[in-house]
Amino acid sequence: MKTNIFSIITFLFLSMSISAQVDRTKMPASGPAPKINIGTPKKFTLKNGLQVLVVENHKLPRVSVTLDIDNQPMAHGNKSGVEGFVGGMLGTGSTNMSKEDFDSKVDYLGARISFGSESAFASSLSRYFPEVLELMADAAFNPVFAQEEFDKQMKQSEDGIKANQKSVAAIAGQVDRALTYGKEHPYGEFTTLETLKNITLQDVKNLYTKTFKPNNAYLVIIGDVNFKDVKKQVTSLFSAWKPGVITPQVLPEVKNPATTEINFINMPNAVQSEMAIISAVDLKMNDKDYYAVLLANQILGGGGTGRLYKNLREDKGYTYGAYSGVGANRYASRFKMSASVRNMVTDSAVVEAMKEINKIRYQKATQQELDIAKAKYLGNFVKAVERPSTVASYALSILQNNLPEDYYENYLKNINAVTLDDVQNAAIKYFRADKARIVITGKGIDVLKNLENTDYVINYFDKEGNPTVKPAMTLPIPAGMTAAQVVDKYFEAIGGKDKVMAVNTTMIVSNATIQGTPLVMTRKAAAPNKSSMVISVMGNAMQKIIFDGTKGYQEARGQKMEMKPEEVLEAKAVLAPFNDASYKMGKLDRIEPIDGKNYFVIVLGNTEVFYNVKTGLKAKEIKTVKTPDGKEIEVPTTFADYKEVNGIMFPHSVALKSGPMTLDFKVAEIKINEGVSDADFK
Amino acid sequence: MFSLASALLLAFSTNAQQVEFEEYKLDNGMHVILHQDNSAPLVTVGVMYNVGSVDEEDGKTGMAHFYEHLLFTGTKNIERGKWSEIQSARGGSGNANTNWDRTYYYGTYPSNELKLGLWMESERLLHPILDQKAIDTQNEVVKEEKRQRMDNAPYGKIQYGMIYKHIFDNHNYGRPLIGFIEDLDNAKLEEFKAFYDKWYMPNNAVLVVAGDFQKKETKSLIKDYFGTIPARIAPKAVKTIEPERTTEKRVTEYDSNIQLPAIVLAYKTPSMRDRDAKVLDVISTVLSDGKSSRLQKKLVETKKKALAVFSFGRPLVDYSVYTIGAIPLGETTLDDLINEMDEEILKLQTELISDEDLQKVRNKFENNFVSSNSSVEGIASSLVSNYMLMGDTQKINTGLEVINSITKEEIRAVAKKYLAKNKRVVIDYLPASQKK
Repeated sequence: MKTNIFSIITFLFLSMSISAQVDRTKMPASGPAPKINIGTPKKFTLKNGLQVLVVENHKLPRVSVTLDIDNQPMAHGNKSGVEGFVGGMLGTGSTNMSKEDFDSKVDYLGARISFGSESAFASSLSRYFPEVLELMADAAFNPVFAQEEFDKQMKQSEDGIKANQKSVAAIAGQVDRALTYGKEHPYGEFTTLETLKNITLQDVKNLYTKTFKPNNAYLVIIGDVNFKDVKKQVTSLFSAWKPGVITPQVLPEVKNPATTEINFINMPNAVQSEMAIISAVDLKMNDKDYYAVLLANQILGGGGTGRLYKNLREDKGYTYGAYSGVGANRYASRFKMSASVRNMVTDSAVVEAMKEINKIRYQKATQQELDIAKAKYLGNFVKAVERPSTVASYALSILQNNLPEDYYENYLKNINAVTLDDVQNAAIKYFRADKARIVITGKGIDVLKNLENTDYVINYFDKEGNPTVKPAMTLPIPAGMTAAQVVDKYFEAIGGKDKVMAVNTTMIVSNATIQGTPLVMTRKAAAPNKSSMVISVMGNAMQKIIFDGTKGYQEARGQKMEMKPEEVLEAKAVLAPFNDASYKMGKLDRIEPIDGKNYFVIVLGNTEVFYNVKTGLKAKEIKTVKTPDGKEIEVPTTFADYKEVNGIMFPHSVALKSGPMTLDFKVAEIKINEGVSDADFK
Repeated sequence: MFSLASALLLAFSTNAQQVEFEEYKLDNGMHVILHQDNSAPLVTVGVMYNVGSVDEEDGKTGMAHFYEHLLFTGTKNIERGKWSEIQSARGGSGNANTNWDRTYYYGTYPSNELKLGLWMESERLLHPILDQKAIDTQNEVVKEEKRQRMDNAPYGKIQYGMIYKHIFDNHNYGRPLIGFIEDLDNAKLEEFKAFYDKWYMPNNAVLVVAGDFQKKETKSLIKDYFGTIPARIAPKAVKTIEPERTTEKRVTEYDSNIQLPAIVLAYKTPSMRDRDAKVLDVISTVLSDGKSSRLQKKLVETKKKALAVFSFGRPLVDYSVYTIGAIPLGETTLDDLINEMDEEILKLQTELISDEDLQKVRNKFENNFVSSNSSVEGIASSLVSNYMLMGDTQKINTGLEVINSITKEEIRAVAKKYLAKNKRVVIDYLPASQKK
C-alpha cells in the first residue's frame, strides 16, 4: 500500500543529430528522448468483492470517481431499453432525499453525478468531494424508482427515438450493429418504440436488484485526495453493499457473411451516405498479434496519415474524413471502416475503400509507413500519460482483461517489435474484405443505380435492421402535372412557344468521328413532318433517310429501300422541325433522378423522353427497338450544351448510342427558315 | 530526470488556480506567450491568426475557414501532402479550427520535438503552398464538411450558427462561418493569395508554447524560426455596427434531419470582452445548466413539457449571441414553450436570484475553470484566446474573479437590458416535412 512505484519507460527514438544553426530547409532532428512515468494506483478490496483503485494526483484541485460493475453483457430482447431506465432512474433522489433536493445539492456543489445501468460517475472540486461521494453512494444504494419518474422517462425515451428517426448517422450506427452482431446479441439489440411498450417499472426494479452488485465491481478514484482518508470513507460507504448471484450469460455466435455483400438502408433525407465496411473479429488484448493489428489499422485508417484518409479525402475529396478501427473487447468486436461520403460518389468510395483494405492484405506496407504508425502510438502514449485517468484506466484494463502486471510497461516495446510481415498477416486475418458487410445508409434514389454496378449483391434493410425490398427509384409526380405541361415548359425554356411556332424549317450540320474517320451529318426538317438526314464521309453521302410527308426511303452504300407502310405511319407521326409537341400525347410516367438531377420522363409508344425538372430542357430520348433476332435494345440519344440560335436554344452536342458504339455529334451550323427546300425531301 | 523531479515538486504545490505565463513581442511584432509545465513530457505549439469569417468580403466568403484546410497542404520546405506524416512520424498530432473572429493552428508533441513543432508552424506562416491543385482538393473536402456537420446533422443549423442570419442584418456574423459554397466555387487563385497576403503575417498572429520546455533555449529557437519572418502592413479589421432591434421578429427554419421541432429565442448581446457577457453566462447557468436549473427543472422535470432545454452564449468579439431554446415533449406547442420560457425570463428581470443560486453558479464556474486547465493543449488555446479575443492574456486568471464579483442586482439589470422581448428573434425550427 505504501508504494508509489514509478515505472520508467524509456522512449525509443531513432536518430539524434543536433545541428547548431537554424537551417529551415532541413527538418529539425529530435531532441534526446524524454522519460515517461506511468504511476501505479493504490488498491484495496472490500469484503463484498468491490475492488478500489486510487490514483493520487494533486496537480488540480479536483477529484473524479467511477464505479464500474463489470458483469457480462446481457441481452434484454423484447424489453431492450430496460437497462437505460435503470441508469436513468438511479440518481433521481434516494429514499433519504427527494429528487429535487438531490439535484439542487449536486448543482450547488458544481459537481456532476451520473449513472448507467451498471455504472456511476461523479466529479467535483476536491473540497466538496467527500460530500459528493456520499451523495453518489446514497443514490446508488437507496434508489426510489418512482412511477411518476418512470412515466416521464418513458415519454422522453419515446420522443428521443422519434427524434432520431431522421438522423442518418444514428440509424446507420444502430443498424450496422444489429447486422454485425445480430439482433439477439447485447451489442446488436437496440431500443424501439415496440420494446419500450413492453417495459414496466417492475422490470426496471428487477434488473437493478439482479445486476447492481459488488461482485464484479471496481471503484476508481482519481485526483486530489488523500489515500488514507478516501479509503476510510469508501469502506464506510460501500461495505454494506451486499453481493448477489450473477447469472452467467450465453452470448450468441457472431458471424460474418460468406461473401462480401452490400447492406443498404434507405433514408430519403440523406445528403450524404454513411458507409461502413464491417467484419466481426475475435481479438483480445493479450493476443500475440494484437499490436500488429493496431499498427495495420493505423496504417490503413488511423487519422490523417491513414491510407483511407489520404485516398478518400485528400486525393479524391469524397469525404470530410475516412477512418478505420478495430476493437479488442472480451466478448465480441469488429473491424469497421467508415466515412460519410457524398451521394454521387458512394459507389466510388466503396470501390476505393475496398481497394485500400485489399491492398494492405495483399501487399506489404512500406517500412516508412510502419515507422510512422509506431511513432503515432508513441505520441499518443505520451499524451495519454498527461492525464491521471490514464493511470487508472491502464490498471483497470489489466484487471479486467486479465493482462500481465507489466503489460503497459512493455507496451511500447511490443509496438516497436512489430514487423512488416506481422502487419500483413494481421490484416489478412482481421480485415476480412472477403467476408464483410458493406453497410450503406443513404438516399437510394441517388446512390443505388451506381451501387448496382459494383460487384456486390445488395440486400435491403429497414431502419430497424429487418430485411426489406428495394426502395422505389422514382419520385412522385406533383399533383396536376401533365405531359403537355412538361412539353410546354420545354418550349418556354428554349425560347417561348411563339418563337418555336415561327420555325418552319431547320438545317443542322454536325460533325463526329467514327473509328478515327470524320463524319458529317446534315439534317433538314420542314413543317409539318418532312425530314431528311444525310451522313457523309469526305463529301460522299454514305447513308440517307428521306421522308417527304407521304413516302420515304433509306439509302445506304447505293442500296435504296422504300419505307414499309408501318414505317411511313411512324414517320408521319414525327412532327418537324420540333417533334416535342407530339410528346404531349404521351404519358408523364415518373420523375427519375440521374446523377443528382431530376428528370420528368414522358413515355410515348416505344420512346421515353427525359426533360430536366429544373431547367425544362430535354436531356435524353430513349427508343426501344427490336433487333433482327428479336431482342429488345435501348437506343438513347442525349442532348447537351444548349446554345441560342436566332433566339432559340438548340443542343449543340448530341450523342447517339447504339450497342457499344457512341457517336458524339458536335453541331457546326444551324440555319432556321433558310437553306431548305422541297427538293431536299425528294 | 528533471521531469520526474518536477512532477513530484508540483504534486505539493496547490496553487492550481493561477496559470503562470510569460509574454513578449518579437521585433517583427509577433506576440509570444510561454507557459512552462514540466510535469509531463509534452509540448503544444500553436499560432492564432487574427482573421475569421467576419473579415471576409462580400462575394468572397468562406476564405478564412478554407485557409484552415489549405495550410495543411505543405510549404516550401515541407513537401505537398506530407504535413501530417511528418508530424505523426515524430509522435505529434495537430489540428486547426476557425470561428467568426480568428483561426487557430496547433500541434502537440513529445517534448523532444519542440523544435520540429516550431519549425512547422513557422513554415506554415512564412511560405505555404498555395496553388490551384490545393484549392481544388480542399474545395471538395470543405463541401463534405458542410454536409456532414451542418446539412446532415439534426439541429445542425442551431449548433453551427446558421441561424445568425436572422439576428445580424448588417454584421458579418450573420454569414455562415463556412461561407457560401458558390463563393468558394467562384474564388480564383489570385483571390486566395490576396487573402493570405492581407491577413497572414507575424504582426497579425500570436504564438503560444505550452508544456515541457526550458525557457531560455525555447526563446532562442522562437527568435530563429519566427523572428526572421518579415512583418507586413497589418490589416485593419472593419467593425460594422448592427442596429438595435426594436421589435420582435419571428422566422421559420427547416431541418430535414429532425422529427421533433424546436423553439429558439435568440438575442444579440455585447462583446465577450464586456462584463455583461459574463453576466449572461451566469444567467445561462441559472436557466439551463444542471437538473436543478430553472428551465430544466420546470419544463423537463416538473411540467414535462420539454424533451430538452438549452441556453448558451456564443462569445464573439464585436457582439455575442445568446440563445435559449427547447424541444417540446408530446403534444406541447411551441407557443406554450415560449410562454414558459418568458415566465422564467421575466422572473430574472424582476426578482433577485437567491444566495444559494449565486453560490451554485460560482461553484460551477470554478469547476469548469479547473477542468479547462487540465491539459497543456487546453491551456495553450485558452491563453492565446484570452490575449487575442479578450484583449488581455491575464484574463485567463481573472475570469473567475469577475464571475465571483457579479451581484444579484447586476443579474437582474442585465436580464432586463438584453433579454427584452422586442430585441429578440424567435425561430420556429421545424422538420422539413412540415414545409408547405
